[in-house]
Amino acid sequence: MSTAAPTVHPLDTAVKVARLHLLDRVAYLLAPAAGLLFAFTVDAIIVGMLPSGDRGDHSVGGLAAICVVAFVIGLQSITKGLSFGLSLGLSRRGYYLGTALLAITFAAVSGAILTVLRAVEGATGGWGLSMRMFRLPYILDGSWYEAWLTSFVVLTLLYVYGCWWGLVYRRWTLIGMIAFAAGQVTVVLAGALAATWTHSWSDVGHFFTTLSAVGLTGVLAAVTVALMAGGFTTLRRVTI
Amino acid sequence: MTPTIAVSGLTRRYRGHVALDDVTVDFEDATITGLLGRNGAGKTTFLRILAAQEFPSAGDVRVLGASPIENDAVLRRMVLIREDQSYPDIRVGHVLRAASWFYPNWSGELAATLLRAFDLPAGRPVKKLSRGMRSAVGIVVGLAARAEVTLFDEPYAGLDAVARQIFYDQLIADYAEHPRTVLLSTHLIDEVAGLLERVVMIDRGRVVLDADADTVRGATTAVSGAVPAVDTFAAGRPVWDRRTLASHASVVVGSPLTDGDRAWARELNLTLTPLSLQQAVVHASAGAAGERAEGSHA
Amino acid sequence: MGVLDDSSPIFAQIAERLADEIADGTLAEGERAPSSNELAAFYRINPATAAKGLNVLTEDGLLEKRRGVGMFVAAGARERLVERRRQAFAQRYVAPMVAEATRLGIDAGALLALVRQVSDDPPGAAAVDGTQPSSARGGITV
Repeated sequence: MSTAAPTVHPLDTAVKVARLHLLDRVAYLLAPAAGLLFAFTVDAIIVGMLPSGDRGDHSVGGLAAICVVAFVIGLQSITKGLSFGLSLGLSRRGYYLGTALLAITFAAVSGAILTVLRAVEGATGGWGLSMRMFRLPYILDGSWYEAWLTSFVVLTLLYVYGCWWGLVYRRWTLIGMIAFAAGQVTVVLAGALAATWTHSWSDVGHFFTTLSAVGLTGVLAAVTVALMAGGFTTLRRVTI
Repeated sequence: MTPTIAVSGLTRRYRGHVALDDVTVDFEDATITGLLGRNGAGKTTFLRILAAQEFPSAGDVRVLGASPIENDAVLRRMVLIREDQSYPDIRVGHVLRAASWFYPNWSGELAATLLRAFDLPAGRPVKKLSRGMRSAVGIVVGLAARAEVTLFDEPYAGLDAVARQIFYDQLIADYAEHPRTVLLSTHLIDEVAGLLERVVMIDRGRVVLDADADTVRGATTAVSGAVPAVDTFAAGRPVWDRRTLASHASVVVGSPLTDGDRAWARELNLTLTPLSLQQAVVHASAGAAGERAEGSHA
Repeated sequence: MGVLDDSSPIFAQIAERLADEIADGTLAEGERAPSSNELAAFYRINPATAAKGLNVLTEDGLLEKRRGVGMFVAAGARERLVERRRQAFAQRYVAPMVAEATRLGIDAGALLALVRQVSDDPPGAAAVDGTQPSSARGGITV
C-alpha cells in the first residue's frame, strides 16, 4: 500500500485532539457544573445561616471549585489521555497544541458562564442573600469584560499548570513530582531572599498594592505562557 | 526501492542494562513478519522506538523514508497496538471514532465488522471491559486503521483461542485486499506460523535469526535412531541439540534434506521428524547465537 | 492451520495440494484455480505464500495465467502430472515399502501376494487416496 503521505494541518489536528478530550463528557461538562453547583449550594446554606442582623455583602470562596476542576482536568489530559493520543499517530507537539487549544476554549467558555452568573448575582442582590460568589472583590470587581478576561486567564493557567504536573509525572514519576514541587518552592524562596538582600520588599509591596486586577491578569498571562513553554519542554522527551 | 522500515545500529540502553544492542534490520513493503523472542528480549522496546514512543540511545531509524520522531506525516501512516495500552474514560465507540479522525485510511466498515466479530459492546466504557475485550478493541483499531506500517505487540492478552483465530482470519482477509507492512510480535509462534513470511528473532537485544519462514521450516528436521547411524547421517551438517538415551540418539539437523538424504535415512533406519516453526526457530536462533541457548527450549 | 503440517515449506504443500486436485480431477482442465487470496483465507496462510505455491504450478506449466481473470488449469496438465507421478511411484512408494518389508522379513513373493490381496479388497476404501504419501499425512483428506 503506497498512498501518498497525508498532509497534516496543525490546526485541523489541534481541533481533533480537542474533540478527543471532549469525548470524556464527565470531565469537561459534568465535573465543572457539578463542582460549581455544589460549592454554590454549600456557600448559600452557610450565608443563609448567618444572623440576619449581619450587614454588608458576604464574600464566599465557591469559585475555588472550578479552579480545582480546571487543574485536575489539565492533569488528567496528560495522565489519562497522552498514551492513547500518541497511540493514534499523533506527534507530541500535535497532542500538546490540541490540548492547549482545548485549555483555552474551556477557559473561555467557563469564563463566559462565570461572567453571566456574575451579572445574575449582581441583578438578584447576591441571590437574595447578599452573597458574593461570582463578584469577588478586587479580582472580579471591574467591568464584565475585565472579569471575563481574568477568569479566562486564571482558568487557562490552572489547566496548563495541571498539564505540566501530569507531564512531570509521566516523565519522572513520583520522584520527579517531588523535585518539581521542591523546585517551585526554591524559586519562590530565592525570590524572597533576593528581595530581602536588596532591601526591595517595599518595592514588591508597592508593586502588588498598586497593581490593578487587569494588571494582575497581565502578570498571570505571562506566567501561563511560561507554564505552557515549560510543559512543552517536558513533553518533548516523554516516552509512553 | 527503499525499505519501508530501515533500522541500523539501533541501541537502547537503560540504566544497568542494554535493551537493544546494535540492531540492524530492514522490512519491506507488503510483508508480514513475525517478531519473535522471549519476554524481555527487547521486542516491545524495538516496536516502541519504531513508533517514536521511545527514543534510541544510538543508531538510525527510518520509517517510510524518514525519522518518525515528531513526524506527523510518518506517524499518521503507522499504528502500534500494544498489550498494555491505556485509555481515557471513554466508551468503545468513542475509541473507534477518535481513531477514525486521525488515520487517513481508516475503514469504518471494517471496524463495524470487527466489532461484531469480537462481540464488542460499542456503548460500554473501555474501563469496564474484560482484559480480553480490551485487547480486542486494540486489534479493531490496528486493523481498521489500515496503516501502511502496522505493528502489533502481543496484541491478544486475555483473548481466548476463538477470538485469536478471528484476529488471524481478519488479518489475512484484510491484508489480502490491502497489503501493508505488518510486524507481529508474538510468542505463540505455531498459531501464527502460516501468516508469517519472515521471522526475526530477538534475543537479549540482538537479532539472532532473520529468515524466510518457509526456509526455517523446511530446514530443520529431528533425526533419531541408533547412535552410530545418527552420527553418520549428521556428519557435515549443522547439528543443534544432540541428545542421547542409551544407544539411541536424537539430533536436530539445520539444513534442508534432499530426497536422496531421505532415502539414505531410511536405509540407516532413522526416523525423520519435521519440526514446527516454533521448535525450528528456537533451535535455529540458539544455533545462530552460538551455544548460548541454555533454557530456551520451548 | 489444521490441514497443513510442518513436513515441508507451506508453499510446497500448497503446490502439492493443488497438484493432487489436478491429478484426481477435482480441478478439471480449463477450470479456474483458487486465487492466492482464496487459498490464504482457506488455509489461513499469508497470501504471498499462497501465491508462491501457485507460482510453482505456473512455472511447471500446470496452471496458466489469464490476465485479469485468474489462473486456469492448463490443457494436458492432468496427463502430465499422472505420468510424472507414475515415474516417481517406485522411488516414492515402493522403495520404502520394500525396505520395511525386508526389515520385517517379508520376502518379495509374500509382498506381492500382500499387494494383490489389498488391491482386491481395499481395507477402508475411503482412506486410500492414491495420491497421498502414505506416511506423515495418513487420514487427512481435503
